[in-house]
Amino acid sequence: MAGTGRAPLRDDPNVLVTVTDLEVEFPVGKGAVVHAVSGISFDVAEGETLGIVGESGCGKSTVAKSIIRLNSIKSGSVDYQGHDLAQLEGEALRKIRPDLQMIFQDPISSLNPRRKIRDVISEGLAVWGDEQGSWSQDRIEELMLAVGIDPKFGDRRPHQFSGGQCQRIGIARALALDPKVMICDEPVSALDVSVQAQVLNLLEDMKQRYGLTLLFISHDLSVVKNVSDRIIVMYLGKACEIGNADELYENPRHPYTRALLASIPEPAPTVDPSDGDIEGELPSPINPPAGCRFNTRCRHATDICYREEPVMQQVGDQDHYFACHHPVEVAVGL
Amino acid sequence: MAEPQLTVRDLTVRFPTTRGVVQALNGVNIELEKGQMLGIVGESGSGKSVTAKTLMNLLPRSAEVEGEVIFEGNDVRKLAAEGREHFWGVEMTMVFQDPMTSLNPVKKCGEQIAETLRYHLGRSKKEALEEAVDLLGQVGLPDPAKRVDQYPHELSGGLRQRVVIAMALACQPSLLIADEPTTAVDVTVQRNLLNLLDRLREERGMSMILITHDLGVARGRCDDVAVMYAGRIVERSDTETLFSDSRHPYTDALLRSIPRIEQPSHTRLEPIPGRPPELINPPEQCAYAPRCRFAQADCLEAIPESQGVKGMHEFACFHPANTDRGREALAANVAAGETAAGLPITGYAGGAA
Amino acid sequence: MSEQNQAIDLDVAAVVGLEDTPDDAVKKTLGWGFWLCVAWLGGLVVVALLAPVLPIADPTEVGNGPRGEGPSWAHWFGTDKAGRDVFARAVWGARVSIAVGAFAIAFGMLVGGTLGMLGGFLRGWVDQVISFVFFTVLSFPALVLAILIVTSFERSLQTVSLTIGILSVAPVGRLARAQTLVYAEREFVHAARVVGAKNGRILVKELLPNVLIPMGALGLLGIGIAIVAEGGLAFLGLSVFGEDAGSLSWGKLINESRSVRDLKNIPHVAFSIIGVMFLTILSLNFAGDRVREYTDVRETAF
Repeated sequence: MAGTGRAPLRDDPNVLVTVTDLEVEFPVGKGAVVHAVSGISFDVAEGETLGIVGESGCGKSTVAKSIIRLNSIKSGSVDYQGHDLAQLEGEALRKIRPDLQMIFQDPISSLNPRRKIRDVISEGLAVWGDEQGSWSQDRIEELMLAVGIDPKFGDRRPHQFSGGQCQRIGIARALALDPKVMICDEPVSALDVSVQAQVLNLLEDMKQRYGLTLLFISHDLSVVKNVSDRIIVMYLGKACEIGNADELYENPRHPYTRALLASIPEPAPTVDPSDGDIEGELPSPINPPAGCRFNTRCRHATDICYREEPVMQQVGDQDHYFACHHPVEVAVGL
Repeated sequence: MAEPQLTVRDLTVRFPTTRGVVQALNGVNIELEKGQMLGIVGESGSGKSVTAKTLMNLLPRSAEVEGEVIFEGNDVRKLAAEGREHFWGVEMTMVFQDPMTSLNPVKKCGEQIAETLRYHLGRSKKEALEEAVDLLGQVGLPDPAKRVDQYPHELSGGLRQRVVIAMALACQPSLLIADEPTTAVDVTVQRNLLNLLDRLREERGMSMILITHDLGVARGRCDDVAVMYAGRIVERSDTETLFSDSRHPYTDALLRSIPRIEQPSHTRLEPIPGRPPELINPPEQCAYAPRCRFAQADCLEAIPESQGVKGMHEFACFHPANTDRGREALAANVAAGETAAGLPITGYAGGAA
Repeated sequence: MSEQNQAIDLDVAAVVGLEDTPDDAVKKTLGWGFWLCVAWLGGLVVVALLAPVLPIADPTEVGNGPRGEGPSWAHWFGTDKAGRDVFARAVWGARVSIAVGAFAIAFGMLVGGTLGMLGGFLRGWVDQVISFVFFTVLSFPALVLAILIVTSFERSLQTVSLTIGILSVAPVGRLARAQTLVYAEREFVHAARVVGAKNGRILVKELLPNVLIPMGALGLLGIGIAIVAEGGLAFLGLSVFGEDAGSLSWGKLINESRSVRDLKNIPHVAFSIIGVMFLTILSLNFAGDRVREYTDVRETAF
């Protein structure tokens, strides 16, 4: 599944962000590099929620941070409304930042412990206030109410709030700048089960209310399915399968997607339990396998999988693409 | 019926802190039959880990413990007071969430397992190392003869957890307590680890307590499940009944709030409002009442006792979900627009009750 | 899960949070020990500042009292072998000692703190250069450096303060850099960058409060160390030069009375100065420690 290829890119005027052949590498000393993301192409349409799912080390967070340029990009382009974010630097990049906001994984660590939450939420407005006209306390109160934090607690500091509340404060901060695109990097994985649904529903509501486009990164397959219109499954820096959320979970074609769906504690009914039997360890991203990157653990692997990297291909004319030489044809259990 | 292997009666644990006394456990009762797998499910602060630590005698000295823990006829708390050796780690062992807390980073994996064997069972160095290789093989570590000479940091998270399991199993324990053993690993690794624990439990006839926040894990692996909230077991039953016919509103609400893989995308979730309660100076009322949509006046006046069929399906609630009493309570709250605790209930779609 | 329950939906967005109040701030107190230290330090500073107008003896007047007499009502700390009033000398000595300590640490915090934060935040070649400078300065024997500076210039209060200030740049800077590194990779710094904050704003608004507050507590400890360092220079006869009252310092006073014969015959001279110095440094250490604990933020919600 070391899928490359631009097949999943859509020719649609509503497309807001197009990522083409994105490659990200991190040096780890002695000339070695981690191949964090190795040629991934996808797009996100306006108002859509794109989920990226995969296990740790698959590069899903790196993709998110590259789009928002918290990482440096080795090659490829990130087109946003005619700007190539991969090429922007300095002031030009800063000018475009308000359009793309992010919600972080750790709700506590993402808030400055020494600042009042009112200042945390208004940080974006304070930065841009001079250039885009002044802002009012009403705006802050409106945001706090929108995310369910009583404005009268604006003078408290982050450690006085619970994890779920902190995450809502983080959402208010991101919303303050009226972003177009919101990147959510594992926004609920640090929260208690009973609080996760609050934050997921809040994100849905905010998406409707403020017309957001979401990029939602998570390792939790059920959570990703719940929030997403479209989903990308990643493995070791590559995309395995991309498609409409319901269709992808209904007819998973890639052996790795099936392995994931069969491995969760309550496996999806659309896969066979034996699909979850993948052996061995995740190969090192410093020296990833040639050909299909999943070949070391795939029970369908043949010669071609070690020689040739599979290319993204479409399932019929559906919004469903996979990169595999031996896709699973028959959905089990349907 | 024979005596259960483990009986916990009215276990209460308090921690004095600068902000007040934390009521970590409030009268916890557990019975575990030999060979059984009990799941303890709860959120952070529910007391699930404190329960495990109490059983393992790992609480800090400042903790005030009351109640009884009987394991195979032994009074465990008395053993602790006597400073008994070769009980914890031999009869009863534990696996923690983060394998690095149990492994010494500067010692080889094999040595660490061998040390356990030498200390508890008095094996010679050579015997112990041979057994360590054997154990690593049993827990499915590929190439165990090579792995004994590796340091923990040379292994992946999943393999490290296998080493910890091998260490826990070294002395043939009859009860293994696993505290979130798979929370830090990926789903494919989690599946393999849980399969391994299942297999080992069957092979050895060992009992197990699996502590998890993941309802799915408990549902898929446990014979019985106990749900904890604010230091109490609020519901306990065989797994099938608990998930299909839950009684406690918290269990019921928890099951509704998590997204399920078979639901179509964008299915609206039903969150639980509010947040888990403070454990310092809790009021004399049902701890879940402020978040509960069934809550009536009586829920705010007393802490509900455990009811239901003893040893089968017990729950601590005055107005249990999926019963007529619960439905009446809910209908009354819907009619009033809010619960007795003042939680507004709106968006009533009609057609119920 | 029966369908009866299914039909009811809580409008959680409306109720969540509003009745879900955050914790009250944990009331922490500094304790009476802290205030005792502050009282001592405050009193010391006031007395030192007011030394010229206070009704105390002239610290340089030889034969102000009998020679080498122990403490009495007239001479609280007794007199030295030249008959000078030791209490007056201690008060005047405090002026130099405290000035040197405070200035040196202020200089170290300003220069070292700025460099350390810049290095820790910007990384790359800036960090390498700054770290190399710190490393080099720390490897050079501090005493030799101090002797070099002090002997090359006029031995004035300014030179001595600056010397100790320069010596404190590297250790303070390394601490600031380490503290900055801890926070620079935290998600709230990324979050500030994402909303478009420039480097300067991130340094001042996000990092500075997190670096400065713990550093401030350390600064109090640092003043104590600088006072001792000045004493060390004075011991070598390298502190502020001169015979007038303005050149007195605690280190110099101890140095004058540290001969075996003096310690045997007139021990009260050395020991009363040592006692004052000891209490001062103890107070600085204790107060610094309490401030650090007091300003520590609990970062876990549960």
